[in-house]
Amino acid sequence: MKRRTFLERSSVAAALVLLRPSSLMAAWNEKHFQQVSIDKAFLDVLGTKDLVKSGSITIAAPPVASDSSAVPVEIISGIRGDQLYLFVERNVTPLVLSCALHGGAIPFLALTVKMRESSLLYAVIREGGKYHMASVHVDVAVQAC
Amino acid sequence: MRILAKEDGGIVSLKVIIPHPNESGTRKDESGNVVPAYYIREGSVLLNGLPLIELQLGPSVSRDPFLQFRFAGKKGDRLNLRFIDSRKQEYAAEAAVV
Repeated sequence: MKRRTFLERSSVAAALVLLRPSSLMAAWNEKHFQQVSIDKAFLDVLGTKDLVKSGSITIAAPPVASDSSAVPVEIISGIRGDQLYLFVERNVTPLVLSCALHGGAIPFLALTVKMRESSLLYAVIREGGKYHMASVHVDVAVQAC
Repeated sequence: MRILAKEDGGIVSLKVIIPHPNESGTRKDESGNVVPAYYIREGSVLLNGLPLIELQLGPSVSRDPFLQFRFAGKKGDRLNLRFIDSRKQEYAAEAAVV
C-alpha cells in the first residue's frame, strides 16, 4: 500500500472512532413517550399497530403484583431482532423503554417497572422491518406510579 | 451505579442498578402535590469500546432502575456504561467481565 493511501485510510478510520461516542446515543425521542392510548403508542413508536403474535417471544411477569411500584418483567426472544420494546397498556405513558441491540447482544431484557393498574404488558421485537409481539397480563391490587 | 457482569459458557449476564428516584411526574406526595418528573431517559453500553446496547427509557421504569442484559463475551471484556436523566445529569461507570 502506498504511504499516501495508507495515511488517507487511517485518518478516515480515526475520524470514525472519534465520531462514535457522540453519535452512539440518539437524542431521547419525546414523541415516543407521550401520554396516549396503547394503539396510539404503537403507531407513534412502531408506525403500525398490526403486530404479529409470536410463540418465539416469552414475556414473564408475576400474575399478581405484590408491589406495583416495582414489577419484575423478563423478555426472552428466539427471534434475533435488532430492537426490543416494552409497553404497559394501562400506564399513563405506555412505552417503558426501547432497546437497540448491537454486535453480540442477545434479545433478552429483565427490568422492574411501575404499573398504575392491572394491565397487559407487550414485548415487541423488530426483525427486518417486521414487528413480533408477545403479551402477559399482570393484576395489580394497590396503585403505584 | 452497581454493575455485575458474569460470564458463563460464553454468555455474559450484565446486571445494573442505578440509584435514582425515577419520579414519573404523576405521583402525588403525602400533601397531595404532584412530584415533578425526574427519571433516567437514555443509556448506552459499550463492549470493548464498541456499541452493544442503546436504551431510551420512559417514566414507567421503577425507582432505582434495575436492568439485566445478556451478550456473547468473555472474562476480562471491558464495559462502559453511561446514563442520562431528564435533568441532563450523567452517570457513567466502567466494569470488567468476571
